[in-house]
Amino acid sequence: MEIANLPISPSHRAKLLSAGYTTFSSLSAVSPSQLARDLNIALQEASDILKVVSDITRSESLHGGNAILKGAQTAWDMLSEEQMQKRITTGCDDLDTILGGGIHCKEVTEVGGVPGIGKTQLGIQLAVNVQIPVEYGGLGGKAVYIDTEGSFMVERAYQVAEGCIMDTLDKFGHHRKVILDCQEQMQPNSFLANIFYFRICSYTEQIAVINYLQKFLAEQKDVKIIIIDSVTFHFRQDFDDLALRTRVLCGMSLKLMELTKTYNLAVVLLNQVTTKFTEGSFQLTLALGDSWSHACTNRVILYWNGNERHAYIDKSPSLRSASAPFSVTSKGIRNATSQCKRVRMM
Amino acid sequence: MAESNEPQAKATASVSSSGNPTSSLSRVSKCPETLEEGKRSFSDDAGFARVQPMIEDWHQPWLNGVELLEDSNHNKHFLPTGYEGIDVLLGGGLCEGQLTEMVGPSSSGKTQVCLYSAALVADKHFGVVMFVDTCNSFSPKRIACIVDQLSSSFSGEAKERRLKRVMSNIFCHSVFDIFALLDVLHQLEFKLKQQVKSGDTKICLLIIDSISSLLTPVLGGKGSEGRLLMVSAGIILKKLANEYNISVLVTNHMVGGEGGILKPALGESWKSIPHVRLQLTRDQGSNICNVSILKHTFMATGRTAKFVIHSRSCSVQDGRGR
Repeated sequence: MEIANLPISPSHRAKLLSAGYTTFSSLSAVSPSQLARDLNIALQEASDILKVVSDITRSESLHGGNAILKGAQTAWDMLSEEQMQKRITTGCDDLDTILGGGIHCKEVTEVGGVPGIGKTQLGIQLAVNVQIPVEYGGLGGKAVYIDTEGSFMVERAYQVAEGCIMDTLDKFGHHRKVILDCQEQMQPNSFLANIFYFRICSYTEQIAVINYLQKFLAEQKDVKIIIIDSVTFHFRQDFDDLALRTRVLCGMSLKLMELTKTYNLAVVLLNQVTTKFTEGSFQLTLALGDSWSHACTNRVILYWNGNERHAYIDKSPSLRSASAPFSVTSKGIRNATSQCKRVRMM
Repeated sequence: MAESNEPQAKATASVSSSGNPTSSLSRVSKCPETLEEGKRSFSDDAGFARVQPMIEDWHQPWLNGVELLEDSNHNKHFLPTGYEGIDVLLGGGLCEGQLTEMVGPSSSGKTQVCLYSAALVADKHFGVVMFVDTCNSFSPKRIACIVDQLSSSFSGEAKERRLKRVMSNIFCHSVFDIFALLDVLHQLEFKLKQQVKSGDTKICLLIIDSISSLLTPVLGGKGSEGRLLMVSAGIILKKLANEYNISVLVTNHMVGGEGGILKPALGESWKSIPHVRLQLTRDQGSNICNVSILKHTFMATGRTAKFVIHSRSCSVQDGRGR
């Protein structure tokens, strides 16, 4: 690294060179006021130059001078990291299979479907399942539940937590020691205590809470999932300026993406459906339009297939398109009860 | 009056293209005082003499057609995307020195093309790939699958080593706003400047998936700052591409235009920035994607091709114990 290609203005560069500062070491000992005098520039400018120089020398010594970019990671490192990650189980094995083990951290997953298909049920289930202690193969995290529609039922959450505890204990029935260790955690009340619930009554509040999350998550490091039920509700009414809506929504999705990466957590957005007129017929698609459809990493569509609930992977960078049946029982989301349990790959 | 100012008249004549007598006359009448002023400030400001060489240094040297052709033959190669359909359509793949844009609706295969090209370019020893990720869509697992497919002739240790080599040549950087992107691009330019001197392994492919999700929140409204940011990002990308022989690939989404017909997002001022613009579409529930040329520097627009996105399961992943 030489003075000649320092990222400062050309006139400053020329002044540095003509004043005799030709190497980095010559700049290392100089004070801003002295530099300002020598170069005949303002003190602020001189300290800016010195800051640039010290930043570069520091990053050079850190990375041996050959790192391509500060903050960049190689795919190899990311792969190793990804393999260490645990997934948040949905409670339904078939659904977990097509999701590659469950809901991924560091990704935004959008779940959409017609009313009554079980979006909120899945949301509650995930808020509970994320808390399965590490000893039982879970993440032992906490959940943030952002409720815009008022559909979160705490009685139901209690039921689901009970069901989850029962099934987890069944699965680990032979490990007596583990059960004694986390007896306290495995109570429905402690599951409920670890769901942070925000009730949102307008889109302004929704934007505000997403901006606030940054601060909230810095304090609550254990949060592993954020569920927004639903992201659509307030944006579908009293919004006249559609262009503004697109901008606000895109800004919001970038914020969420950033949160997932920074705090290593999963974001699940529940979305409603709408009809769209394409190629001469009305078809069901997810609400909020075409720009929004890029706002998620993965998209799962829930739909009715006869009398059976199915989930379909509509978009994902790493998962293939596939569908799987699931059912909503009194304990929560579970495997489909009918005979046909086979996962259909497409 | 015109005769008394003969020298200036000549000087202006070379500037005025038409030689229309009235216009040159009116120029001449204005000329003396402006020249006087220029002379005075020139002699007064000795700094100008010092600045002038710098200004002269600043501009690029001129090139003639033969040199340009040589440059493009030697330095501007085609980087294959790995999808035969696209490569044939583009006469070899993504051209170095150019900005290629892929537009398409959600889940039309844009990210898959990005990931596949990244894996293939890193695999074929072309150089380092830089992936700028804005929607958390960079999937190292998917890259590992693709490399696994590409190296099916290898086995065991050799395969593992190859996987590591390829994946270490792909760098990913997450960016969540346009200012961070500009920052990254400036850093990259700075690094590249050094690399040209020191001769390290060079970056040959820069992927931004997707640029539109960074730009949509700032575009529109009353102010024009958003458009300014968009265009300046475009200018830096094209500069990087041209000066350092990088192929730049960006993705853009589509929005509903008039009558519900989908059109590429980001509007008219972005349209002129990319060299090549491809549109991807995919039929619901099938693996077959269609690609068509919307804009190209030397090929006819409107040509189309098909390619298939393989969704083979990944054996290497399941077998690897960590």
